[in-house]
Amino acid sequence: MRIAAVVGVLALLVGILLVGAFGLFPLGDSPDWEKLARAYGAENGVAAVVLGTRLYDTLLEVMVFALAMVGVRYTLTPLSRWKEPVVPERGVVREMADLLLPVVIVFSLYLAASGHLGPGGGFPAGAIAGSGLLLLAMAKGIERLSRELHEGTLELLEYGAIGGLLVLGVASGLFGVRGSGLLVLFNLLIGIEVTVGTWVVLHYFGSHRGEI
Amino acid sequence: MTAVLLSVLALTLAAVALTRRRLLWGIAVLGVHSLVLAGLYFSLAAPDVALTEAAIGFGLVTFVYLLSIRRTGRIVVAAVECPGLLYPEGEGAVGLLWELLRELSTRTHRELELRWVERDEVQALLSTSEADLAAGDLIPSAAEAHFPEVEFLPTRIVRARLGPGPLGALRGSREAELLPKGGRLFPHRGALLSALERGELGGVVVNLLELRTMYLGGKLREAEVEPLEDTSFSVLFAPDEEELARTLEEVVAELRERGEWDDLVRRYL
Repeated sequence: MRIAAVVGVLALLVGILLVGAFGLFPLGDSPDWEKLARAYGAENGVAAVVLGTRLYDTLLEVMVFALAMVGVRYTLTPLSRWKEPVVPERGVVREMADLLLPVVIVFSLYLAASGHLGPGGGFPAGAIAGSGLLLLAMAKGIERLSRELHEGTLELLEYGAIGGLLVLGVASGLFGVRGSGLLVLFNLLIGIEVTVGTWVVLHYFGSHRGEI
Repeated sequence: MTAVLLSVLALTLAAVALTRRRLLWGIAVLGVHSLVLAGLYFSLAAPDVALTEAAIGFGLVTFVYLLSIRRTGRIVVAAVECPGLLYPEGEGAVGLLWELLRELSTRTHRELELRWVERDEVQALLSTSEADLAAGDLIPSAAEAHFPEVEFLPTRIVRARLGPGPLGALRGSREAELLPKGGRLFPHRGALLSALERGELGGVVVNLLELRTMYLGGKLREAEVEPLEDTSFSVLFAPDEEELARTLEEVVAELRERGEWDDLVRRYL
């Protein structure tokens, strides 16, 4: 049964790969993306699409993410909590967390701030910062890190980021404001939102047993 | 060309991850798979997607999986029923070994999952890592010598003869290997005992603990007992569970040091 499932899934994937490789999907004419990027104050075409021409998609995506987070928070809260055993800090993991965390945070800030110039942007930046927090959580224990992080402040930060994104997005659409500064601001706000969201979701899944 | 090579590598890694029995290995391979996918996207001139794949597929998802197996990790015990050491009672079990296993479970923050098995299933369960350890009426046979083991209680294998007739032993056990020619093998101790009761057997090859149980049960009152081999009861571990074996060794050593071991032995044996 296991072997059959593996073979089936592999055959499906290889099929999709072959269809793609032999160009059965038509490729449309791509626009002159360099010109497009310049028009929005970016160097990276993807950033211009995500935060420029398709800004509304991105805003709605951010709201979907926020909704998922709120859903996790309110459906898991009434469930029984998992009593975390008092785990002594794991030596190796703690050392590595201390070593890696500054690098991870700086890298994620760099990605958010330079997302309009090269590969990067708010989503990967947030995911990277979120994994950094998770690394720390593995070293210290989730509940302990949660107490140290001031959950209430985080919540405010996250709602502020979403509100800021919506206001900025609508305003830039209405008044036709464009420029690199705006893109950096978008990326930073998205980064904050994704970081907090990642942490909240992981925290809630980690601290509840999933039993009613 | 790079793209095709990376795709093939990614598919292979996915297959490898799917076929791992140990969750930890599956997660590790899945992480590498994500990295290869990120390389593939990069070679297809999509660095943004590659970055996101590396951050989420390799970083976040791997961490989430690691956290969840640390949370839900279980120690699957292949338990061979043995009065005194480990025998079922309700949902759990009772016995000297049960105390040891419970201590092991608290120490590693992993819950115990007992699976009652026959003696001859132990080897297959351990070598496929379907069980993390095997315990109970267990003296490692020659075929099982390569598994990590923790010896905790010395015993002796003896031949007990009641009269004429073939000798009997449990299939797959060390006792069965010491059985003289013409002996009969039984799948579990219930079958062995009932064959003995019906008078089909002229005697048994068993360990001292089993001999005592049979003696107390009134089945071997006038047996002629002859020692065959000095050995000890062990807990056997799956090949990649050496760390767990070391932890159990520590548990036993600490119990001995604190003097609680003798109390336990007196209480259960």
